[in-house]
Amino acid sequence: MLKIEHVSKQFGDVKALNDVSFSINNGEILGLIGQNGAGKSTTFHSILNFIKYSGKILWDGEPISEKLFDKIGYLPEERSLMPKLTIEQQIIYLARLKNKSVKEVKPQIDSWMEKFAVKGKKTDKIKDLSKGNQQKVQLICTMIHQPSLIILDEPFSGLDPVNSDLLKQSIVEAQQRGAAIIFSSHDMSNVEEVCDSLVMLRTGEVVLNGKIDEVRDQFGKTELFVTTDWTLERLQALPHVTSVTHQRGNHYFIRLENESDGPAIFDQLTDGHYIEEFSQRPPTLDEIFRMKVGEAAHE
Amino acid sequence: MNKMWIVTAQTYLRQVKSWSFILLILTPFIFGGIGMGIGSISANSADQEDRIAVVSSEASLRDGYIKQNKDDVAKKYTTVDASKKALKSKDIAGYLVLSNSDKQVKATFHGNDDLDSGTKSRVQIYLSQVQQQFNLQNAKLTGAQAAALQTQPQFKQDIQKNVGKQNIAMLISFWVMVVMVYIILITYSSITAQEIASEKGTKIMEIIFSSTSAVKYFVGKILGVLLVIVTQILVYVLGGWIVLNYAKSASLTKDFFADNQTMINSVIHNLFGVNMLFLLLGVVLFTILSALSGALVSKAEDASKAAQPSIMLAMLTFFSTFPFQNNPESIFAKILSYVPFFSSYFMPLRVINHAASPLEIGLSLLILLVTIGLMGYYIGRMYKGLMLQTDTHGFWSSLKSGLAYNK
Repeated sequence: MLKIEHVSKQFGDVKALNDVSFSINNGEILGLIGQNGAGKSTTFHSILNFIKYSGKILWDGEPISEKLFDKIGYLPEERSLMPKLTIEQQIIYLARLKNKSVKEVKPQIDSWMEKFAVKGKKTDKIKDLSKGNQQKVQLICTMIHQPSLIILDEPFSGLDPVNSDLLKQSIVEAQQRGAAIIFSSHDMSNVEEVCDSLVMLRTGEVVLNGKIDEVRDQFGKTELFVTTDWTLERLQALPHVTSVTHQRGNHYFIRLENESDGPAIFDQLTDGHYIEEFSQRPPTLDEIFRMKVGEAAHE
Repeated sequence: MNKMWIVTAQTYLRQVKSWSFILLILTPFIFGGIGMGIGSISANSADQEDRIAVVSSEASLRDGYIKQNKDDVAKKYTTVDASKKALKSKDIAGYLVLSNSDKQVKATFHGNDDLDSGTKSRVQIYLSQVQQQFNLQNAKLTGAQAAALQTQPQFKQDIQKNVGKQNIAMLISFWVMVVMVYIILITYSSITAQEIASEKGTKIMEIIFSSTSAVKYFVGKILGVLLVIVTQILVYVLGGWIVLNYAKSASLTKDFFADNQTMINSVIHNLFGVNMLFLLLGVVLFTILSALSGALVSKAEDASKAAQPSIMLAMLTFFSTFPFQNNPESIFAKILSYVPFFSSYFMPLRVINHAASPLEIGLSLLILLVTIGLMGYYIGRMYKGLMLQTDTHGFWSSLKSGLAYNK
């Protein structure tokens, strides 16, 4: 279990992290979300001991030190490999730094390249690969030594939907063998699809923390999707409606003050008439993210 | 395998497998080979043209001359006609016609220019010897009288000390040593700074530092570069040994080596031993400084800029030895022979000139070792901070923010 307790970090006058606490169990996937500069990479750098911080970070009850490095797989935000090495040399070198022998790693390279659909031969030089393939090689380097803690900083950036699915698949496989996985992403759909829980950071502070469903439920079923011949103005005039967005045709998205306002709206909209669609549900992560970012803008 | 050694092996193999390293190693041999080849060809052709033909109706006269001066004679020309043709086509410098007229030996040289003084004196010595033989036969002397006339004067040289050659050996040793140190420092300062800066540019350091400690990585890198330098020196030593052995027996150079054996041995002795240790430790110190410089840039393209402090310091130390070349006992030379960075030039200078006691040499080595240890430890500790900050500030602000990164 990775436990982050009251971690703070200041760079000059800027408070990069302010009393950040959360935890992640073995066999769990946690999404770390937040705007640029929210403190996601600083959190990762603190976990990896790249920087000094105040507070505590423990992995299975121990502070993270060099002896735990072999159990960690880390993918930095900016992709970085040694351009003059071949795929095979690069994977072997980084795996050896994780205390894996050449004998252990070499036979696995082909299957990992196949798993991530890396185009090219293992004797190809890194510099000759496309950006997407370089990223896949880096993902192999992150995972080939079967780490127990996997830290991925924006792993989906630069990947097309097909390759994103390959990555999600390997993340889930690592989870199934008991690894704890923490990744940052700007794409809430990936977080919603893969993660068990999430932590949202805003200017270095945790503003959301919990299981995905629990977090969504915190906001209640305050969203309505309706298909009606009412006009936008009529919908906006309804009581307890905070906002209405016209999507397309007769489709509208309505945000309510409270979950309990739904039935009253339903009654008014139908009023004995047929209505094509009326759906009440909690906000998506993406909407929650926007809401939280919006709150910050108003503060 | 310890992670430090993995880094060492990776750094070493990446460097020695590169074309630039192979070229760096081979260049002196290629240039040396070309130089020797050209020298040998021009010497051979010059030799051919400097030779003379010897012609005589008396075979014993011709054979006697050839026996004494075989290197000077173009033996294939045995007749006047053939020799004339060879002279015309400038294959020989001329031809010598030897004859015996009533026990008086005669020699006539035919050529386009005067005989060179060496050949002329050898011809005269030969003619005198032959004439003396004829004279002794003509005089019909008894054995004792003949033996008495054969008595030669004696000439001996009693040289107390080979001071001149020793001085030349010291001068050669000094120049070979300082130039070698300078070239190695300049070359490897750039290579080290480039190596470090290129890694920083790719930001692979975050992956590396999530696998091993910065100190292990830093020391591994330095050892890797040092092994490359040792490899280069070993290749040069081995190559030099092969060339030296070849040159000792090669017709072109054997006389030179035979005449200067003591001086050559003295130069070789001066270059190895404790001086080589100063060279290696100096290179380690400069390599650490270059690694620090390389860590202060934010992208690989700036690596040449990063190597500047080390290169400037190497140049300063190199040129500062010049005034003390003939004055190794001066107070400045003595002080600088203990100052790290300078001591790699100044202590060997003093050692070559027998101006340093074993205690002084030991003290200077100790200071150098302690400095390397302290610098390696201190820079190793701040290495992580330097390598992980990639803001594009200037040199000094990079150093400042690198130092502050871990705070």
